Amino acid sequence: MKHPSEEQDIIRWIDGEMNESECATFEERLKLDPALATEAQKMRALSASLRSHLPAEIRVPHADYFNTQIEVRITQMALDEARSKHAATSWSAMFQWLTQPWFALVGAAALAVLGFFLLQPASPDDSESMILSSYTPNLRVQARTYHDHDADATVLMLDGLDAMPADKHISGVNIQRSEMEPELASTTMYDEKGAAVFMISHDSLGNPLISPEG
Amino acid sequence: MKVFFPILCLLLCAASVCAQEAPPQPVLSAVKHATDGHVWGALIFATNESEKLTGGKEPEHADLPKLHERLAKVFPYKHFEVLGQHRQDIFREYESWIVPSQDLFMKIDSKGPAENEGLNLHLQVWRRHQVLVKSDAILRKDSPLFIGGPPWKNGRLIFVVYLERT
Amino acid sequence: MPAAASTDPGEVSDLDLVKRSQAGDTRAFDVLVTRYRGRIYAMTYHLIQNETEAWDLAQEAFIKAWRALPTFKHDAGFYTWLYRIAHNVSYDWLRKKKIQGDGEFDDERVEHRVAVGAEATPHGDLAPDTALRNAELGQRIQAAIATLSPEHRQVIVLREVEGLAYEEIAALIPCSLGTVMSRLFYARKKLQEQLHDVYETSL
Repeated sequence: MKHPSEEQDIIRWIDGEMNESECATFEERLKLDPALATEAQKMRALSASLRSHLPAEIRVPHADYFNTQIEVRITQMALDEARSKHAATSWSAMFQWLTQPWFALVGAAALAVLGFFLLQPASPDDSESMILSSYTPNLRVQARTYHDHDADATVLMLDGLDAMPADKHISGVNIQRSEMEPELASTTMYDEKGAAVFMISHDSLGNPLISPEG
Repeated sequence: MKVFFPILCLLLCAASVCAQEAPPQPVLSAVKHATDGHVWGALIFATNESEKLTGGKEPEHADLPKLHERLAKVFPYKHFEVLGQHRQDIFREYESWIVPSQDLFMKIDSKGPAENEGLNLHLQVWRRHQVLVKSDAILRKDSPLFIGGPPWKNGRLIFVVYLERT
Repeated sequence: MPAAASTDPGEVSDLDLVKRSQAGDTRAFDVLVTRYRGRIYAMTYHLIQNETEAWDLAQEAFIKAWRALPTFKHDAGFYTWLYRIAHNVSYDWLRKKKIQGDGEFDDERVEHRVAVGAEATPHGDLAPDTALRNAELGQRIQAAIATLSPEHRQVIVLREVEGLAYEEIAALIPCSLGTVMSRLFYARKKLQEQLHDVYETSL
């Protein structure tokens, strides 16, 4: 095992962080220690290779959409901020009325009623599922969200999706259990009979890969 | 004794046959990962043409009464069938996958509990290698999420997600 | 510190664009996004090793930068300041995801890998077989980096991609100079082990 100072010398030499005299001293050592020289040179070659194969700039996929989405979110943030400022102003104006002499009694009664309702159990809306935000990478697809009271369900409607080919056979499974292996970054899924049906892992881009099992 | 011995052999043979027929028990992982909830996900095909149905069951869930009728209120179709379903724990620290079919599936990341026994989630609907939508949501018990997916065979694919328990 | 993009004589300077952005001009900010998105995306991609998430995190970095513009004091370059935001966003995400990086490299996973870096700045005209070998080595390097822990991946990206000095890396992380050097040594050593067949023949 190397002494930490020897490791630092190798790193500093590779990265050009040594001054002239340090460099000369280290290179003398390399001449006398072939094993050290080999190690240092291999690491230098690796470093050069990393620099040439890890680009400092990568073309952003869907670049225009990247910019548009940022603009949309910035605009949304500005709208939200304006709305909350307006609400704060409205509240302030509302309470000003309550300080008027002959409104004081009415104001007190209103507060009492408000307090009564605040003590009630949460309204039905608080028991519904909600979509807080959504985003579709494909510009042609629109996401609409709403709560359908008749169906008693929250809906996320995706309009504009490309149709699945009519001749495509879409089959499903009945997964009842799965086992995850974090070290392998994979999950195996089992059906109601305990048979392994799928394994899900990731490709080098982190996208899911589903492979049939068995 | 004469009767006992054949009966004993019969019993031994029967036991041997039963042991061979019993399905191999999968080895359960010794590690239990922390979970924030348990969901049911189903991929449903909706159509007006009964001849296009594939023979799947009607959508139903013990905790979701009249699921077929509720779907019909949102999606204007006469027939609904389940193509696939998946029951899944939602892990606290890892991503969870709901895969009722290889063609349309969902990734869920838990962001912790929400008020009124809800669950804060980030979910992504995938079609093969493509993300269709990413969404931040709160899922609550007794309140299913219906996701209108791509058209197929003059009908539509629908993803239903339901929080069975937290 | 990471170098800002050099502006053509006719181009508006970062300073002007930032001042206009601070005054609420979203079009000025859009120019800054276009100018630096490639570099920010490269950094998040190298750290996260996931195209979809890197795209989201790069966006998140720009949005955080927009929100934090009122606090930007022009004492450092805009890109340096933006880079720090993007780095923190990505590194926080990486730690939260608890990506395991200290395990042995699994060769079987290499078979599933698809070509990476396809959108990278081209290296110029290369003979087809050289270009192919280059692409294969690029894939192997990406795969090897993906096995590093967040801390080791971080120093490799900051040094080999961004070319930051040790002091700059130590200030960004933050940690001591000794820690920077020892992490760099360990990370390169680990990559060397995984790519030993490449470097055995190169000397």
